[in-house]
Amino acid sequence: MMIYLDNAATTKPNLQAVERARVYLTDNFYNPSALYKEGFAMQNDIKKARSALLSFVANEREFEWVFTSCGTESDNHAVFTFAKRGNAVTAEGEHSAIENSFKELQNRGVEVRKAPLEKDGSVNVEKLLSLIDEKTSFVSVMHVNNETGAINDINAIAKAVKQKNPRAIFHSDGVQAYGKLPVRLEKEVDLYSVSAHKIGGLKGVGGLIKRKSLVLSPYIYGGGQEQGRRSGTENTFGIMQFAFAAEQKYAAISADFARLSSYREKFWELLDRDIFTRISSENASPYILCLSAKGLRGEILLHLANDEGLIIGTGSACSSNAKTRYSRVLKACGYDNETADGELRISFSSETTEEEVERGAQILNAVARKLKGKMN
Amino acid sequence: MKKVIIIRYAEMYLKGKNRGFFENAFVNNIHRSLRGYEYELIRQSGRYLICGFEDGYSAEIIEKLKKVFGLHSLSLAYEVDSDMDSIFEAAKLVAKPTGTFKVISHRGDKTYPLTSMDISRKLGGMLLAENHTLTVDVHAPSFVVYVDIREQGKALVFGDMIEGANGMPVGTAGKGLLLISGGIDSPVAGHMMAKRGMNVEGLHFHSYPYTNMQAKQKVIDLATVLSEYTCGMHLYTVSVTHIQEAIHEKCKPQLMITLLRRFMFRIAERHAKKIGAQCLVTGESLGQVASQTIEGMTSSNSVVEDLPVLRPLVGFDKSEIIERSVKIGTYDISILPYEDCCTVFLPDYPAIRPTLKEILAEEAKLDVEGLIAQAFDTIEKIKI
Repeated sequence: MMIYLDNAATTKPNLQAVERARVYLTDNFYNPSALYKEGFAMQNDIKKARSALLSFVANEREFEWVFTSCGTESDNHAVFTFAKRGNAVTAEGEHSAIENSFKELQNRGVEVRKAPLEKDGSVNVEKLLSLIDEKTSFVSVMHVNNETGAINDINAIAKAVKQKNPRAIFHSDGVQAYGKLPVRLEKEVDLYSVSAHKIGGLKGVGGLIKRKSLVLSPYIYGGGQEQGRRSGTENTFGIMQFAFAAEQKYAAISADFARLSSYREKFWELLDRDIFTRISSENASPYILCLSAKGLRGEILLHLANDEGLIIGTGSACSSNAKTRYSRVLKACGYDNETADGELRISFSSETTEEEVERGAQILNAVARKLKGKMN
Repeated sequence: MKKVIIIRYAEMYLKGKNRGFFENAFVNNIHRSLRGYEYELIRQSGRYLICGFEDGYSAEIIEKLKKVFGLHSLSLAYEVDSDMDSIFEAAKLVAKPTGTFKVISHRGDKTYPLTSMDISRKLGGMLLAENHTLTVDVHAPSFVVYVDIREQGKALVFGDMIEGANGMPVGTAGKGLLLISGGIDSPVAGHMMAKRGMNVEGLHFHSYPYTNMQAKQKVIDLATVLSEYTCGMHLYTVSVTHIQEAIHEKCKPQLMITLLRRFMFRIAERHAKKIGAQCLVTGESLGQVASQTIEGMTSSNSVVEDLPVLRPLVGFDKSEIIERSVKIGTYDISILPYEDCCTVFLPDYPAIRPTLKEILAEEAKLDVEGLIAQAFDTIEKIKI
């Protein structure tokens, strides 16, 4: 049986949620925009799902939820509808959806400013705030770093940003936080991106949470779904399955958080310290443990572990292109090429068992020792 | 108006009694490259005609034919009744809207009432009268209208001569085993041998888990492009991971590449014999990298027992190789950044002029036969 510890890349769909939503594939397939009662019923079900998904992280009086196709779309929607003038501020080491959107902003003539990272991958808040001035139109800081798991206190950062410039729009990519961290959004956070498939939902469903009073112009035009903010026929099955999966996650969110914190520590305890160094801090999301096997190549370990029945992730690749070879995130944390080359990302889900943690660490130790033996 | 494609073949006309052998291979290759299309292939003296295809597919069919070796040139022609009015209607479509031109006529049917000169003169006059921006220039025209009077009251009218791939039909010059990597050179080398009529099969060495699936897929993608010219091919992959590990463990690091290449050539020759290939083909170019010096080539050649090693790129500059790879369509794949040879074990400074004595001394530390046998256990065959 393959042990899957690359849950930050995607998770196995929650099959209970798939079962509960199955009726939306079979009987309730109608277009939610249709006028007959079958269609209208779909609209009501989506409304319930929307309200539930939002209620887990935010107050429904102050926030609302727009369905999108993925986290990347949500990020793009936020960036390109709000960062239109002056300067836009973000940090190094953001997810590619933000990183590359900001590159495009630059092409479009918006000044881009980037704050450096701390060693653990969190944003250097002081430096970030120093980049914000009266011309800043948009600020984006991810909630949980997808490689190191570092958590940014986005409520506090948003508050501080608004103190410097109340008109700046604050966005956060919450893809690795939603359904995992027991956090609620405060009113200073204007926009928050979410994705279904990181918590047992399906690929192809995402959300953009927005402060209610914020006017969000559409990014995709068409039939006027999502109150005109995001056109396109709703993915009813995907939306309902996401809501059911999220419901389960939030029912156990604190217990999972505590359990996975102990799993992550256990995994680390079991690892060979002569080979592995830890990049994720103890305050990081318990769902992610970022390591480096310095002097060994992360991708080779990935393949070796794969052949032994363990699936893990890495930030680097055997690429002859130096720009794509080393993890951009680890470089931004200040690590050298060798450490970045040895990066491995172990990421858990609420489905992960203690046996998998133990066996996974054993396999990783074994393949790393074997490779080290061959390299010397 | 009915369209046909005229195919003229290249060097084959030089062949005497065994010309049939070459033409059969040529025809087979044409059929192979046009698999999936509806058409008819007609043999005429000195050329072939493709007809009966749907008009919308003519551009696609021409693109496919341009990759068939042995084909000198082709033209998309209109087949019309051989009266001058019908010929004129077709000629109007062939003629450019402006510029200088001439008409070249040819009579296959000698009973046709006009001579070739008469046809050219008359049609030229009709075109001039129709379009006043045209002028005749029989010495250096900007385009030519060709008229070919055939038997049974038909004529072919066409303009452009599209250059074919030239060379000899694949399958007429034996079989070679190409040592193919993910780089720029080896696919070009394979293309050149196929151009001379050789059947080309591919052998790729990988070092998984030190290299990844993307690197292997890249070679499969290269072979797929190459196979359009080679009339299909098989790609064999062999792991040399254990060989690299053994060399790393026991031998001088600066000889890693030299020793590894000797293993590759040994494996290649044995495999070539197994599949009935008569030579090895490599993409080496003299002095391009440390292992492609004359000393490096001598070292790898010396382990090959019987077969010749053909290096069609040996005298080419990198820029010439790149130019060819762009032309055949492999360049964009070749420059993808996946490493297809493990760089983990590569020395910072490889030996540029290793002596045979030194190489043999290092190689003696290895179980050469055992390592080769182990490599053959990993062989995979992929039909491209």
